[in-house]
Amino acid sequence: MSTATISTNLTKRRLREFAGAFMRNRQAVIGLSLLTFILLVAILAPVLAPYDPYALIGNLLEAPSKAHPMGTDNLGRDVLSRVIYGTRVSLLIGTIAAALSGILGTSIGATAGFFGGKTDAILSEVIDIVLMIPTFFLILIVVALMGSNMLNVMVVIGLTSWPGNARLMRSQALSLRTRTFVQAARATGESEWRILFRYIIPNGIFPVVSNTTMQVATAILTEASLSFLGLGDPNLVSWGQMIFNGRTYISSAWWVAAFPGIAIVITVAAFYMIGDGLNKVLNPKLRS
Amino acid sequence: MGEKQNLLSLEDVCIGYETPTGTVRAVVNATLSLSAGDTLGIVGESGSGKSTLAHGILRLLPKTAVVTGRMMFQDVDLLRCDAKTLKDLRWKDIAVVFQKSMNSLSPVHKVGEQIVDIYRVHVPQATKEEVYDRMRHLLSVVNLPDRVLDLYPHQLSGGMLQRISISLSLIHQPKLVIFDEATTALDVVTQGQVLSEIRRLQSEMHVTSILITHDVSVVAETCRRVAVMYAGHLMEVGPVDQVLVSPRHPYTQGLLASFPSLSGARRRLRGIPGTLPDLKAEPKGCVFAPRCPKAFDRCHESMPPAVDTGTGCTVKCHLEGSER
Amino acid sequence: MGRYLGKRSLTGLLTVIVVLVLNFFLIHLAPGDPITILAGMDNPSQELIDITKAKYGLDKPIYVQLWTYIKTLLKGDLGHSIIQARPVSQLIMERLGNTLLLTLTSAVLALVIGTALGIAASRKPGSALDNVLSLIAYVLYSMPGFWLGLMLILLFSSTLRLFPTSGMVDARASYTGIAYVLDVLKHMVLPVGTLTLIGIPGYFRITKASLAQVLKDDYNTLFLAAGMDEKKIFRKYCFRNAILPTITTFGMRLAYVIAGSATVEIVFAWPGMGRLVMSAINTRDYPLLMGVYLVTSVSVAVWMILVDIFYAIADPRIRYS
Repeated sequence: MSTATISTNLTKRRLREFAGAFMRNRQAVIGLSLLTFILLVAILAPVLAPYDPYALIGNLLEAPSKAHPMGTDNLGRDVLSRVIYGTRVSLLIGTIAAALSGILGTSIGATAGFFGGKTDAILSEVIDIVLMIPTFFLILIVVALMGSNMLNVMVVIGLTSWPGNARLMRSQALSLRTRTFVQAARATGESEWRILFRYIIPNGIFPVVSNTTMQVATAILTEASLSFLGLGDPNLVSWGQMIFNGRTYISSAWWVAAFPGIAIVITVAAFYMIGDGLNKVLNPKLRS
Repeated sequence: MGEKQNLLSLEDVCIGYETPTGTVRAVVNATLSLSAGDTLGIVGESGSGKSTLAHGILRLLPKTAVVTGRMMFQDVDLLRCDAKTLKDLRWKDIAVVFQKSMNSLSPVHKVGEQIVDIYRVHVPQATKEEVYDRMRHLLSVVNLPDRVLDLYPHQLSGGMLQRISISLSLIHQPKLVIFDEATTALDVVTQGQVLSEIRRLQSEMHVTSILITHDVSVVAETCRRVAVMYAGHLMEVGPVDQVLVSPRHPYTQGLLASFPSLSGARRRLRGIPGTLPDLKAEPKGCVFAPRCPKAFDRCHESMPPAVDTGTGCTVKCHLEGSER
Repeated sequence: MGRYLGKRSLTGLLTVIVVLVLNFFLIHLAPGDPITILAGMDNPSQELIDITKAKYGLDKPIYVQLWTYIKTLLKGDLGHSIIQARPVSQLIMERLGNTLLLTLTSAVLALVIGTALGIAASRKPGSALDNVLSLIAYVLYSMPGFWLGLMLILLFSSTLRLFPTSGMVDARASYTGIAYVLDVLKHMVLPVGTLTLIGIPGYFRITKASLAQVLKDDYNTLFLAAGMDEKKIFRKYCFRNAILPTITTFGMRLAYVIAGSATVEIVFAWPGMGRLVMSAINTRDYPLLMGVYLVTSVSVAVWMILVDIFYAIADPRIRYS
């Protein structure tokens, strides 16, 4: 059997075991069901939303009724339609920011752990430093200075949240590089970079995956906070902005702020549950 | 025997673990007795049930374990006594030395503090000085200075911690000490030292002890009697100078053959071919039959009962009393 | 241990330098003239431009500018807020106490309540209590603090009329002495409650996880074999072993007391750092915004190092390695 086959078989076997254990984990299953629902809402938004989310169609601050199940906001827009369309923005920002963080963290961590020595010393220091910089404020300043559009928000969240992933990937790479199939691959003359991408990263990626899933949740919360501070992209329908608009009317028209908040809680909880489930399944120490 | 009062006697002790896929029969019909001053070694491969048996005597088994039979310690049935009686017995009458002494103390408390707490379970009003005084003597027996009491566990080596555990087990002068693989984790040199210290304790302080180990030579060095365990069964029980010199059970013979000769003469080491049977399945015949070189028809039909050979040994083998 | 602390301190120092450099380049990379950012005005007068240019050496090469910028900051000069016509450091000092009152109170409350609930849930894993608490922890963990604050206002102020919605004191009354303290306490209930509720799940989860780990440790068996009470083993040994991760988390959370509650403060119109940040954003008061950021990140770096030192002293395993 070639080294590549051993490595692939290892990955395949782990994937299969893992899928089984994952489906037996209650949190994971609840999280996954919630996420499926949320994804359907995002995809079917134009079908599900009763009105155009931007259209000023009703009376201002109209209480929930048959025509507007979640009422209308301060400009007379349908809250339900806006909550439905907001799903798209939250998912987009959350997943792209987390994916960016996952890719950055994986490559930096794997490089540090796999090559070791000076490379590791320098990269680890960089990881430690970025880990210590308070991110929310940095994101806030960058968005305030560079302008509040969705791209800036996603990129800055991604650029500041990778160190956690890098740490996880680094420790995986550290232990994987001494494994027999890596040694064997090296003996057959495969290049270091090839070993890194074919053996180290595929076999050590699992903890990063669960952490990245949790980061989708964190990114959604960060975007909501930015929007709540008035730094959201004004051209989008975002839950954070809806709460920002609704906070002035909290005593007279609670529905404007309440419903988008519930949407945030459900979406964020779904990602946390999946991430937690992945973590429990992947970390035998936490399994009971 | 007979005249002497038994300190511990086990009658038909069975221990099973309930698992989702069935019951694991870890110990089956174990019958054994130990008189005061005796030293018994229980030897067997890992997974043979020897540690389960020891933990059963200590009542430290997990809740999934089902224990039946009788375990008499003096006049108390360990399996049926109430929590208060059990608590009074623990450490005062029955103490234990575990295998992993590295982890058997809390890492964030000083050694002395933990020992004082253990001592105070039975002597609540004891002062720190009293306990330290007692420990000072016990530590000197195992060649340790008493300053180890003011250190944290991770500042000590495995051998030192094992010696501390041994002195700690003697702090209330218990009637019985169980050494559960107490020297297994140590390097050869330290193991030798610790064993000679255990021997000294046995002779000087008349400690009755049970030594659980997978190493026959350890038993040969420290025990007067030995029980050989395989797949939950006590295959052969008797004095060391009989069982280890002229073993009657084929398993004991195989086990001895797989260790270097005790007298030092070099022989070719022979392992026993095959592996331990699945403890979940109810075996039809003798548990050792699939690996036994001397197995015959009857061995595949029924488990042999324990037979007294008349020389102070009991053996579970169909060869006994059949053609002999 | 000396080596370890030396290494950590170096990381802390490097972090401070990185933050300063980052700030400098943000000013230069941002669209628009750095002068308008440093001066804190969109259309500064010629006089102001000259003063700013001279102060930060803006006509000199970039590395000289960087050095001048860092030197100015190291002197404690965080710049000048043109809009508020005051030094930034002074504005921050004024608000800091109010913010700490909120954040420290809720940090301690969250620690105590979260840990206690974690212990309660760990006593019987899988019980109804454990399941209910875990579910609540999930929900709170997923909740934006500002939204929870709004909901509490809706419930306790608008509907039940129990607590004031905003501010730190009743502006219409001018209380003194005990009455003043009581008034502040009344205003604190909802913001502190929000921050505490948001903080609880973290401690709950950490306590549960580390207790689950610690209860499996081998010394439990030894103490049990020695006849020790399970309660005593738990209280003295398991607790002490399990509490270290909680203490670390608490220490790390304390690093964020300065700016971590910004959005919640805004909801309750609390006169703290959050309001300062909000007004800085609304008026594009960049010197103020960057000043707050610098103070926050430097204090986080310094605090993290202090936590490491404390942890090294508290855990003998680190102390002697």
